[in-house]
Amino acid sequence: MALDNDILEKLRADDQAALSVLFDQYADKLYTLALKMLRDQAESEDIVQETFLKVLTNVGKFDARSCLGTWLYRIAYNSCIDRLRQQGKEELFSDTTQDADEVEFILPQSFVEWHTPEAMLVDTEGRANLEKAIEHLPDPLRVVFILRDINELSGAEAAEVLGISVGSLKVRLHRARLM
Amino acid sequence: MNCEELIKYLSDYIDRDLDEQLRIDAQEHLATCNNCQIILDTTQKTILLCRQATCLKIPAERRKVLFQNLQDAFSSRRDKTHV
Repeated sequence: MALDNDILEKLRADDQAALSVLFDQYADKLYTLALKMLRDQAESEDIVQETFLKVLTNVGKFDARSCLGTWLYRIAYNSCIDRLRQQGKEELFSDTTQDADEVEFILPQSFVEWHTPEAMLVDTEGRANLEKAIEHLPDPLRVVFILRDINELSGAEAAEVLGISVGSLKVRLHRARLM
Repeated sequence: MNCEELIKYLSDYIDRDLDEQLRIDAQEHLATCNNCQIILDTTQKTILLCRQATCLKIPAERRKVLFQNLQDAFSSRRDKTHV
């Protein structure tokens, strides 16, 4: 948060180095989010560019009630939703059936004890299987999983990005992790 | 705590988001239930592996172009502000 505030002040003071720091810190993370939502590399690059341009345009108006990173994610998420809306697909990410309060009893689909999980990472097939498992998550669960477990936002930050309650976010995350 | 309750609280347990009594109950159950311990380990390792495998990077050439475009926009904005 202190670093965010520092970057924010420097951006407002037209310090170009701050743009570089911000881009290094968030560009790949925003790209990951966009690519997992849109499944299109070129469109995801556009989302990254659009997001930073919107930040530059609106940095003077940003009131810093949320942290700078959360603001970037929210802009990128909304831009993705706009694109999906143009394609008639935005309802995929607003499925409220994922928000039931009660967490039902579900077991992980892969019920395997891994003694050498590191081996999965050097194994192309292992990586592909992980990618496939994430791709197969329902959209509202996948985006929560990406924000919380891949990009490592807090529950409150991820909920703010998605415009849902922390309770709904927890339910979706629980389901995503055990699918 | 039984297995069904442990699964219900698993995600909050991983996030250290349970109140103290529930956390103690979960730890006591995990100490005696091998199946639940395996589920916990597997879920935690899956999250870690996904994090390491899934954080994608913009292709280097495209990254350069995107950043150059932003620098141009930044300079143009600054020039307008200072005119």
